[in-house]
Amino acid sequence: MSYLHPLRLHFVGKFQANVSTVNNDLAHFNNATFKPSYQEMQGPNMNPPNGWFNPQGDAAFRLRGCRVTSAWMPDGTSAADSDAITQCLVDDSDSQVCAKLVDLDPQQQLVSMIWGLQVRITKTDGTTLLRGDFEPAAFTDMWNRATGSGEAGDMGFGAMYQSILTNLQWGDLSSSTFLQTLKMSSQQDGLLSIKFNVDGINMDFKSPDFMCGRVVGSIGPASAAEPHHIVLGRQFMTEDSRLNFFVARVDETTSSVFLDLGNTLSTASPGGSLNNVGNLTLGVYSSIPATSNPAGTVVPLGTIPALGRYGYASEPDWYSRTAGVVVLSLTSQQLELVQSAPLVLSTGNGTSLISEWTSGAFVRADQFVFRLSPGDRVQIAVFATQWGRPLSGAQVDFTFDDSGLQAGSSDPEVAKPPTALTFNGSAVTDQNGKAILEIVASDPQNPRKFIDGQVYGIRPVLSDAQFAGPMNPWNFVSFLVWDAFTPSEPVSWWGCLQPIFQQYANLYPVMQRFLDLSSYEQVCANIRLLELAFGLDPANPNSMPVTRDLSPAKRQAILRWFKNPELGTPPHRSIVVPTERDVSARTGAAEVQTPLIGRGGKTEAAAKRLMLTRKAQAS
Amino acid sequence: MIRLRANILDRLKTGDEKAVCDTLQDAIELEHSTIPLYLYALSSLDPRKNASIAQILQSVVIEEMLHMALAANVVNALGGSPQIDKPDFVPCYPGPLPGGVESDLTVHLAPFSMLQLETFLNIETPHDPIPLRAARAAGFADQPVTIGDFYKAIEESLIALGDGSFANPPRHQIGPDLMDNAVVVTNVDTAIQALTTIVEQGEGTPSTPKEVVGGGYAHYYRFMQIKKGHLLVKRPGNLPPAQQDTYSGDLVPFDPSGVYAVPIDPKAANYPVSSAQRLACDNFNSTYTSLLRSLHTTLNGQPDQLDTAIGLMMSLKGQAEQMMSGIPNPAVITGPSFEYLSVS
Repeated sequence: MSYLHPLRLHFVGKFQANVSTVNNDLAHFNNATFKPSYQEMQGPNMNPPNGWFNPQGDAAFRLRGCRVTSAWMPDGTSAADSDAITQCLVDDSDSQVCAKLVDLDPQQQLVSMIWGLQVRITKTDGTTLLRGDFEPAAFTDMWNRATGSGEAGDMGFGAMYQSILTNLQWGDLSSSTFLQTLKMSSQQDGLLSIKFNVDGINMDFKSPDFMCGRVVGSIGPASAAEPHHIVLGRQFMTEDSRLNFFVARVDETTSSVFLDLGNTLSTASPGGSLNNVGNLTLGVYSSIPATSNPAGTVVPLGTIPALGRYGYASEPDWYSRTAGVVVLSLTSQQLELVQSAPLVLSTGNGTSLISEWTSGAFVRADQFVFRLSPGDRVQIAVFATQWGRPLSGAQVDFTFDDSGLQAGSSDPEVAKPPTALTFNGSAVTDQNGKAILEIVASDPQNPRKFIDGQVYGIRPVLSDAQFAGPMNPWNFVSFLVWDAFTPSEPVSWWGCLQPIFQQYANLYPVMQRFLDLSSYEQVCANIRLLELAFGLDPANPNSMPVTRDLSPAKRQAILRWFKNPELGTPPHRSIVVPTERDVSARTGAAEVQTPLIGRGGKTEAAAKRLMLTRKAQAS
Repeated sequence: MIRLRANILDRLKTGDEKAVCDTLQDAIELEHSTIPLYLYALSSLDPRKNASIAQILQSVVIEEMLHMALAANVVNALGGSPQIDKPDFVPCYPGPLPGGVESDLTVHLAPFSMLQLETFLNIETPHDPIPLRAARAAGFADQPVTIGDFYKAIEESLIALGDGSFANPPRHQIGPDLMDNAVVVTNVDTAIQALTTIVEQGEGTPSTPKEVVGGGYAHYYRFMQIKKGHLLVKRPGNLPPAQQDTYSGDLVPFDPSGVYAVPIDPKAANYPVSSAQRLACDNFNSTYTSLLRSLHTTLNGQPDQLDTAIGLMMSLKGQAEQMMSGIPNPAVITGPSFEYLSVS
């Protein structure tokens, strides 16, 4: 069960993602070459780049002004007009600090993760009807959603988050049959499924919507037996940038197919209305395609109109109301046809736009972002499906894949040494389609010098040639493996901790509102508060550091030091000799193509992905 | 100097627990009401220009939170329930201080100024301020009742109630393990210790400007340092406590250009809907309301929630400083209005 289900609600609103940008530039991590100007707002057109466009960001992630736009009952009918859910709001916490949005690493900025988000459904007077904790999750399926002239940069991007809500608390539901039904669906496992699409982030510091964008999403039932961040469904794999990856699910009970086009249809402007790419027809291949005729014959199943009263491009509220979720009913014959044949979405004239693999197979890790210390062992669940059903007994191969990580020509190398991660070369899926990627982390031995640890990517791929198909570049697992750290004893400020605090003070000017983290005196004056914040679980929205990039070994040393904060002896001044691979901060000349200057952190990071830079070098 | 409303003392004369709890509820509201005032002034200061004053205000704000907890401990020990999470917990600015305080003192939510400092001094004035050298308590007429007297009256009622009225083992207490200098209240003695801590941290004692608990000087004298422009320092030699300290320490300079141009008594409704200021103000008030809710939970039987409250407090401070110092847009300055939000 997931949000892609008859029983569900949709909502629309805005989000705020007040991320700091000083840490977008790797060179800023080098204490020895840090300049105060790196904490200032960038100049016009990023000249000079300074701390880019939001140096004072506090990483806050908030839901703003979100309201329920539709709610659907299990039988496919919409909730009654009198049902309180139709007037409800979707809000974040009313009793703890707001959530935080956090990148894994400066060389993996494309799996930003929401930590500490609490989601509530409330009445307009603020009464809470449902409260749940959003399991930390990273976005995926990022793409350049806004078309139109030129490259829009970050504000043109779209992405999606999928996760579960846990620790559910329900209020007085007497005025909402929908919520009573939703509650009943959650009784067994105490979970709900949530998914939302984000786009249209605003990067104009003069705008009231600075660092805000549009969010459109869904909440529905969830079961503990299913992955938290993947719909076990029909995965449409794009090879065409007009439409993005999406998932569909055949629902036997209602004899229908649910398509989630929420992060699939492009917009004319960032966060704007959907482009008209014509009527979309869902079809199924009438027979297993032969290699000589891979296309086969497509049997149409239903059409999603572009125009007309409920056209996706003509009804002004179509996207808000549906969150892009479309339901097409199937006759019993059609239900039979779709069981084991590839689905395809075409435009009116029959050109295939996006389809399942010919084998209908798909594999992805559920959770795909990990932070590891040397010696950590972790078991990562990977799910394989075929035709939306668990694919059991299939071998999944695991290989290093750094193509999604980011390294410009003057940046440190990523993914080296490979010895920092050992893992099984393959595993076979069980009857639930689940295979386990078993990881053992070891010390990468500080390859990136002034940036702790190393980043890696591992991609699961179905081994059997019959399951080959186009890849979703986002479907790999990202790792940050921290360097080993043994503090000099006794632990002291000048012994080994000053550089750690200095780096945080440099990268996060927002902290100056509380204390100067590079000052021993001020750190000592605030030890109680720091002890509290540094001692919290990363899932707690108050956890420090907000960036969650402090290794447990360093954290333990710091917590120990708080008990007895010795100053130690300052080191002798040494001359910093730049090495060949020293990273220099941007002075104005761009690493990436000129039109992309000042277009945002994700834009620049995306352009530095090795899959692109290697392609450029090869051509 | 705060003038107490006469019926407050009458209420205490009934001698019953409820009257005492109701009066302590007034005390909690009073202690809380200084927090927006001090925090607003603190955040209005450019720390590069007025660091000394900022440090003084900061040190006082932290102790006001302790005072709320101490008063709440007494209420809880008597079987009562502190009410924090309600719209009228928050004073309306401009307006009187809450809790039975008469309205000849109107307080404004205002940026720091020497004038606003006078309001702070007024609130914290002891019954008989110690005439420290160069610190004449001139300008304060002989008023009959201070906040100190208010607590004194409560203490007398507690003594009359006796140990039997107090919950033991401890009920819903915030202890020193959670907050420095907190007192677990289980009987008359500990209740008086808790309330005395509040008074002495605020106004010192008749014989010394020092806090008995917590180190440092009482709030009144800390603020006087700003007025006098010098830190209090201990004089050498063997002097009686009242003469040990003088305002002859380091300079406490005030740079009027180091105060952000924030409004007096801001209201969210005065900022246009969908403006950057309105959104920042709404976010702030949402955090503030969450803080009150969190404090309510903490002080009503879930002391392990204190960390959540502290986190919210820090978030509030960060947002206030951002709004007042014109981040991200230097052209846009916003005054956080400290209003209770029923809906986010």
